[in-house]
Amino acid sequence: MIDCTEAVRRMWAYLDHALERGPAEEFETHLDACQRCCGELEFSRHLKGMAASTGSEALPDPLRRRIDLLLEGGGLPIEGGTARD
Amino acid sequence: MSAAVIDATGQAGPDRTAGAPARPFAGVAREHLDGLYGYCVRLTSDRTEAEDLVQDTLLRAMRAYPQLRDENSVKGWLFAIATNGWRDLCRARGREVPTVSLDGSDPDDEFSLFATLAIEDPFPYSDELHLDFLRLFHDEDVHEVFARINPVFRAPLILTTIHGFSCKEAAGILDVPLGTLLSRLHRGRKQLERGMWDYAVNNGLVEVGDEP
Ligand SMILES: [Zn+2]
Repeated sequence: MIDCTEAVRRMWAYLDHALERGPAEEFETHLDACQRCCGELEFSRHLKGMAASTGSEALPDPLRRRIDLLLEGGGLPIEGGTARD
Repeated sequence: MSAAVIDATGQAGPDRTAGAPARPFAGVAREHLDGLYGYCVRLTSDRTEAEDLVQDTLLRAMRAYPQLRDENSVKGWLFAIATNGWRDLCRARGREVPTVSLDGSDPDDEFSLFATLAIEDPFPYSDELHLDFLRLFHDEDVHEVFARINPVFRAPLILTTIHGFSCKEAAGILDVPLGTLLSRLHRGRKQLERGMWDYAVNNGLVEVGDEP
């Protein structure tokens, strides 16, 4: 039986489905008997979700235009060149 | 000595006459631009640097693309190039490439945001204490908190939590053993939890009694 400290260590890996079967089953057995860790698991799910959702950034338009030139031209856009829209 | 013998059955891949990937680079790159930019923003904690890093990454990738053997691994491959580019950028700007000693313990390792919230109870009338705490944070606040995490621990966190890489993939991108990745990831999470609590206290998002 793993304790709360160990359960907390495995928590994010569990949410990522990154635990192997044995450790995952030990974790679930702990959850069956531990209200506290059930609460923390739920909280971790939300915290991870929040961190994930704020991590996406849309490319700023000026950068997107420079990258388009770079990708189309197969190299660096010429310094000082004017982007025609 | 191990009895393992290297199996030389030509697993290195099919012998293609034209070794280059079938799809043109521009189209492949476009699929990952937003993700790549988001990674660079979080990695550098600076949008201007992130713009330089994205362009540098694409230039390097464009040159190396003909040698790419596994087109399915393009996303991880781009992220690995960005990671190396970021290290070079740190060196070029005269900054230390962030490192850590592996065996040093960190006081944050045992920190639990969940437990701290329960003890400090910043919203005494709330039924959803923990969720109310998370609702205090807007995107920019989270960005700030991430920026203060040691980059060595931040990178694994960004790769797995935000970009959905497995721990094994993240270890490959950062070029560290899996065990190292896992312990850094754990520490990154703890620094995130600690950072969120400190940020909330220091910016007056929560009021607590005797916090320094
Ligand atoms: Zn427990």
